[in-house]
Amino acid sequence: MDVVRDVLDKSLVDRDGREMGRVDGLLMEQDSGQPPRLAAILVGPAALGFRLHPRLEPAATVFERWLGIERERPVRIDFAEIDDIGSRIRLRLAIGETAVAAVEQRLRGWLVKLPGSQ
Amino acid sequence: MRKIFNLALGVVTSIGGFVEVGSISTSAQAGAEFGFSLLWAIAAATLFLAALAEMAGRVAAVSKRSVAAAVRERFGFHFQVIPLGAEFIIDTLLLAAELGGAAIAVKMLTGIGFQWWILPLGVAGWVVLWFGNFSVIEDGIGLLGMVTLSFVVAAWRLHPDPSSIAGGFVPSLPHHDLTRYAFLTVSIVGATVSPYLLNFYSSGAIEEKWNEQDLWINRSTAFLGMGFGSVVAMGCLVTAAIVLGPQQVKVETYEQAAQMFVPIYGRWAVTLFALSLGIGCLGAAIEIALNAGYVLGQALGWTWGIDKKRRDVSRFVAAFTLALLLAVVIATLGLDPLRVTLISVALTVVIMPVVVLPFLVLMNEERYAGRHTSGPFGNSLLGIITILGALMAVVVIPLEIFGG
Repeated sequence: MDVVRDVLDKSLVDRDGREMGRVDGLLMEQDSGQPPRLAAILVGPAALGFRLHPRLEPAATVFERWLGIERERPVRIDFAEIDDIGSRIRLRLAIGETAVAAVEQRLRGWLVKLPGSQ
Repeated sequence: MRKIFNLALGVVTSIGGFVEVGSISTSAQAGAEFGFSLLWAIAAATLFLAALAEMAGRVAAVSKRSVAAAVRERFGFHFQVIPLGAEFIIDTLLLAAELGGAAIAVKMLTGIGFQWWILPLGVAGWVVLWFGNFSVIEDGIGLLGMVTLSFVVAAWRLHPDPSSIAGGFVPSLPHHDLTRYAFLTVSIVGATVSPYLLNFYSSGAIEEKWNEQDLWINRSTAFLGMGFGSVVAMGCLVTAAIVLGPQQVKVETYEQAAQMFVPIYGRWAVTLFALSLGIGCLGAAIEIALNAGYVLGQALGWTWGIDKKRRDVSRFVAAFTLALLLAVVIATLGLDPLRVTLISVALTVVIMPVVVLPFLVLMNEERYAGRHTSGPFGNSLLGIITILGALMAVVVIPLEIFGG
């Protein structure tokens, strides 16, 4: 499998088909003496920023902190949690078990105060 | 029967939604300065737009992906950041120009300075986006936009010479001001083939849940709707040519452009022109803001859609709100809306190759076009558009300086 072609930038859904964003980055790990292995996919503006320029990662993190989001950024999802790689990447997890929706939830907290948001 | 009705509605809304600040200003200038001789540019630009929109609709119907989503998946974020960033900047500038155009229209009707109207119009646009759904927004804008047919009626009643009109469809070189002529040609293409229209069209196909059975609706809406829509822009050019041409008027303000209606509509001239300009511009502004939400949502993988509950698409709502907010600030700064229009039109031309090139790849892959990949004709047309787009991208900035 070509992970850049088949995984990176693809749309991500949870086990119930709910949208979780896109695969914004890939993380490889290497233990001493072992070959490098694909460890996780990364989701969130910090991962996307890093791909464009390393300095954009802290900028994205500052923006998310400004929104009041402190949880694990970017979100890291173990490669082992991938259930199926097709036109979309399906995970074994439910969206609520990760922090991918943190920005959406923060903005929702403000939006629901407006009439007509329901 | 229902599909026929949807098709008719789609065609009508394309006609009503065709003209906006860019097409009105470039057509009026072209007509006033060069008679009918730039009609071919509107026809060619419309053919390009319709062909690209049809392809965008086909990708959406077959792969259930909008253009922005397909480009992110196929080319990756490193490539996409260029058209995405450019589209957000152009969308915001064009949105400012549309709000400015609509504000000038309200000024023509009320006499109160246009800067005062920008914030209320921006708020009105946001309220429509907050409470409306896709069909209300698209059909409402299209049906109200039928007032722009007053350009066609005016041209018709001025009895233009049919052979001169036919001559305008044959590309020719002018006897004077070649640079200005080239500038207006490129501007007409830039004003017509807006990237926002392509992504808006494919997003609409997804909002309306088109599938492979709807491809004939897609083809008819794209070619008939935009084909008839271009008649409105041509009506503006012809009217400007007959009325403003002999007076040697160089259209530099919308108030000057409004004079083209005087011989036909008399004391209703300014009102009708203002309604056409105002509805055309506000409608386009709403669609451009919505597209800012679409394009960011699709590229970045957010849940999006104007038919969903707003609480479920809060980042999408934040994106169209931000675009409107930025545009209101730019328009309120007092920049001349006509100048902002020309800048955004020029930028559209600069990025055109990056917008068109992905189509060449997407339309030839089964993953995106299924059994409906492009044939030799479609690929040749895409090749021509890409080459012409690249040539125009090189010359547009010098032309803007020397011809604009």
